[in-house]
Amino acid sequence: MEAHAVISELLGAWALDACDDAEMASVEKHLLDCPACAAQARRLRAAASWLSVDRVQPAPAPLRQMTLARARAVRPPVPIASLVESYAGQVTTLARLLDSISTDDWHRAEPHHGDVAGVVAHLASNDGMLADDLGLSVPAGDPWRRQAEFLVRALADESDLDRPVRMAGRGEPVRRPLRDALVQRAFETWIHVDDVASAVGQPEQTPPPEQVRRIADLAVRLLPAALRAHDVRVPGRTGCLVLTGPAGGEWSVALDEPGTGSTVAFIAKVDAVDFARLVANRRSPETVDYQVSGDPDLAARVLQVAATLGCD
Amino acid sequence: MPLDETDVRLRERLVAGDEDALAEAYDRWAALVYSLAVRITNDHNTAQDVTQDVFVRLWEQPQKFDPSRGGLRTWLCMLARGRALDAVRRDQARARYHALSAAQRVEHADVDEAIIWETEAKIVREAVRALPEPQRVAVDLAYRHGHTYREVARELNIPEGTAKSRLRSALAALANHLEAEGIIDR
Repeated sequence: MEAHAVISELLGAWALDACDDAEMASVEKHLLDCPACAAQARRLRAAASWLSVDRVQPAPAPLRQMTLARARAVRPPVPIASLVESYAGQVTTLARLLDSISTDDWHRAEPHHGDVAGVVAHLASNDGMLADDLGLSVPAGDPWRRQAEFLVRALADESDLDRPVRMAGRGEPVRRPLRDALVQRAFETWIHVDDVASAVGQPEQTPPPEQVRRIADLAVRLLPAALRAHDVRVPGRTGCLVLTGPAGGEWSVALDEPGTGSTVAFIAKVDAVDFARLVANRRSPETVDYQVSGDPDLAARVLQVAATLGCD
Repeated sequence: MPLDETDVRLRERLVAGDEDALAEAYDRWAALVYSLAVRITNDHNTAQDVTQDVFVRLWEQPQKFDPSRGGLRTWLCMLARGRALDAVRRDQARARYHALSAAQRVEHADVDEAIIWETEAKIVREAVRALPEPQRVAVDLAYRHGHTYREVARELNIPEGTAKSRLRSALAALANHLEAEGIIDR
């Protein structure tokens, strides 16, 4: 109770970043266990952010272009077309790979879908769901390739990336914006390129970093609902995923109802490409290299649930 | 507090590399960020640099913004305030501020016409003006000049406990006012 009183007095200073590091840390620790202080802290921080907004003037007009140009130089934008291009690139890679293998290779064993032919049929069925949702009637013929190439051509003219479509996955399909479905199609096609490659003894492939980054971000966004479905729920906590490598970055994962978690329960550091493969269930928390600070069991459970987000 | 769906979508698009999302964020909040930076740095050129830094940062690492911890506007404004204080420290412009008395610091700097966000700005002005003078001075030292509560206490020659409670009471009163006016969510 005494700690509560001490921390509660500090909340104003905390909201203004006006205490020392040790005090900032002790406040944040307390916010974990005290929903009343956590709500008050958020409120005071929101109020603090309005200070100095008592006179608002437009920014000088040339600043807009200067800012956008600098942003573009720091990180090139991904035009809408490149979401389609990422998918088209994976389609081409898989098509080439399938061209290069023998008829016998199509019957080589593959652990997830029986054999190579099973992998391709499975992919065709998931692609078909998107084709249906886009109202495309796919010409008959080679079930996967013609459909995929047809999809790529049709998507080139698609301008509404926010329209909801079904996502592939376990159980009842969820609907998400087309933008996400495109990331998922490129992701799934890449993973099946690897499946076919390893069935026929060829090396795995790694997509460009921007594509891996989009996959990681999609997975992190799908994760909270999956965690709730698996009864992984830790009130007031979030997990922190630090993805390393060229596609790296930091993501926080709500371990509670969205909007309520505030304190970090663990930090898990893992290579971004490994994380993407884990999400596809091609790696497991046991076979992937990762470092944890904080709660290691919780981190492992979160990674186990992440491994259920794939399209098999 | 529920997640702001607009913020969530904007963040998704930023992560996806959609440049239009950055332009939208800029058009929505650049004036707030810029004005705030002017107020803290008292220098239009530095304020422009700060504004650029804030939006380039949002573009470069959009996943650093966590919608579950508060709104994007709050995040941008607090980031801008941190960058502006850094700039002031870097430029050693603080010497100028130290020459001013604490009472003068809360006076508004002269700015050009304020033509946007006028409703919000007016409410913020009223809310700040309604604070008791000692609270207003304490909050200004902490927010705009980056003082810790201990420095605030030393500067105003008051006990540290008093400095802490002035900051807290001031923000709580401000929050009440802004909530009542619908500027921040209850």
